[in-house]
Amino acid sequence: MLPIIEVSHFTKSYGNFTAVNDISFSVEEGSIFAFLGPNGAGKSTTINTLCTIFEKTSGSLKIAGYDVSEQKSEVRSSIGVVFQDTTLDTKMTIEENLKMHCVFYHVPKNEVEERIHFVLGLVDLLGERKKLVGALSGGMKRRVEIARGLIHYPKVLFLDEPTTGLDPHTRAHIWEYIVKLQKERNITIFLTTHYMEEAEICDQIAIIDGGKIVAHDTPYALKKKYTKDRAYITTKNSEELEQLLISYQLNYEKKEGYYRVEAEDITHLLQVLSLHKDAITDIEIRKGTFNDVFLEITGRKIREEE
Amino acid sequence: MQTIFSLWIRGLKAFGRNKISLIFSLIFPFFFVYVFGAIFRNDAIENPIAYMLSGVIITTVFESSLNLASSTVDDMVSGFMKEVLVSPARRITVAIGQILSAATVATLQGIMILVLGTFIGIRFTKWTTPLLILLSMVCVGLVFSGVGLYMATIVRSGQTFQIVKTAVTMPLTFISGAYIPLSLLPDSLRVISYFNPMTYATAFFRMVVLEKTHLLPEELVREGLAVKINGFIITPFLSFVIICLIGMIFLTLATRSFVKTDFSKLNRSANDASALWG
Repeated sequence: MLPIIEVSHFTKSYGNFTAVNDISFSVEEGSIFAFLGPNGAGKSTTINTLCTIFEKTSGSLKIAGYDVSEQKSEVRSSIGVVFQDTTLDTKMTIEENLKMHCVFYHVPKNEVEERIHFVLGLVDLLGERKKLVGALSGGMKRRVEIARGLIHYPKVLFLDEPTTGLDPHTRAHIWEYIVKLQKERNITIFLTTHYMEEAEICDQIAIIDGGKIVAHDTPYALKKKYTKDRAYITTKNSEELEQLLISYQLNYEKKEGYYRVEAEDITHLLQVLSLHKDAITDIEIRKGTFNDVFLEITGRKIREEE
Repeated sequence: MQTIFSLWIRGLKAFGRNKISLIFSLIFPFFFVYVFGAIFRNDAIENPIAYMLSGVIITTVFESSLNLASSTVDDMVSGFMKEVLVSPARRITVAIGQILSAATVATLQGIMILVLGTFIGIRFTKWTTPLLILLSMVCVGLVFSGVGLYMATIVRSGQTFQIVKTAVTMPLTFISGAYIPLSLLPDSLRVISYFNPMTYATAFFRMVVLEKTHLLPEELVREGLAVKINGFIITPFLSFVIICLIGMIFLTLATRSFVKTDFSKLNRSANDASALWG
């Protein structure tokens, strides 16, 4: 597949401060790409530059073959954007917001009604179209924005922290819509998030920290590379378990009442433990998380500063 | 074209929906007519109600169109301006749409007061008068919407913005002759009033409303409908030209400034306008 977003050696600085420092990456058409990192890592700066709001300091950024600095108008027509803070017109109804957007994006007049119906159906807001946006809840506003970002059929949809500040239930729903979209319309989705668990749905993840991309791979590969699985074991026969673990050169820690064992390969660990299975009274296995990935790469937790 | 029209409709809708401000925008002018009309009742003015109303109408048009500054700053804070600016819509059409809608709203407010005014003392004898009134209101509306948009784009701190706005509108209305006849002002203030575009707008508009277009310049000066500076009389026609000139300047400045403003410095996470620009 062809890359729809191509960024090479992109740098953005404000005076002496470098927000994004010489990053390069590309995103394939029809995939979900996540930018992961703590606040202030350069995520929003990158998104805003790709959306033609900020000017780059140096480097080259292309969307659908158009240069974001030279061909702003073409880029703007090819993308949909959902910003971190809402950008809806609160004094107008959902329908009016969508219609206004269609005007800005030159959607053919005879298609407007059909498209409004389609995008509102996608985010389950068909019944609310006459409601004033100012009266909606945060989750509903976000859904309206996603609907609005799609109504002009963009090639790429940018979502800057689409689920920040929403309750877990709404967050799960927003993700449903995102995945549905990507499958149904083959839209490329570029999102930023600092919720690690959300990253797993994506096809590709780039971890950004201090303005640099520190890792870029599939969620599976990142986890495989940077995390270890752990088993928490309770046994009737401590001595035997310890000897067993030592003989197979498995690192363990003795805690109060249980053993904590780390393993690169969980199936190997289970094979070893099966030799000891009669004595085991309880076992819990935990897979590595993206928090571990982030911790491993950057040496700190992603939401430490919050 | 579509963008201009949509933004125009948007402004009208917002105006129609804000019932409370709509009612107050009608109450205030009549309050002023009542208060100032009572004060100047014994003066040489032959029709004090119509005299006051004309001043009040044009000030309402002036203030309402200048409000485009506040509503544009609101649009920046609420984020709507960002949505507009990442869209392929051309910025110049956005600026024109905003100015047209503010001017229209201002004119509508003027018309409403005028219509109510016909019940309490405004009489027309010529059919051209309403047309001329409409024309002057549209002009003043356009001119000061331009000023308003310009103010919105150059503002760097929302807190000072409100103060600046009041500091600009209050003196402009009070030393324009709209409420207080210029002849009653002390000399120093009268000199300042010659630099006030609203002075000319008020004089011209009042002449139209009172149907004194046939009077000679000297007579207009005597009635307080034309300004005489050092023996030189600014005729109503000249006033009109001055207003249009100021309008041209500000409309150009406003659209240019709006198109060029670097909205990337806009601090969207600010809850109020005070920290709008980073």
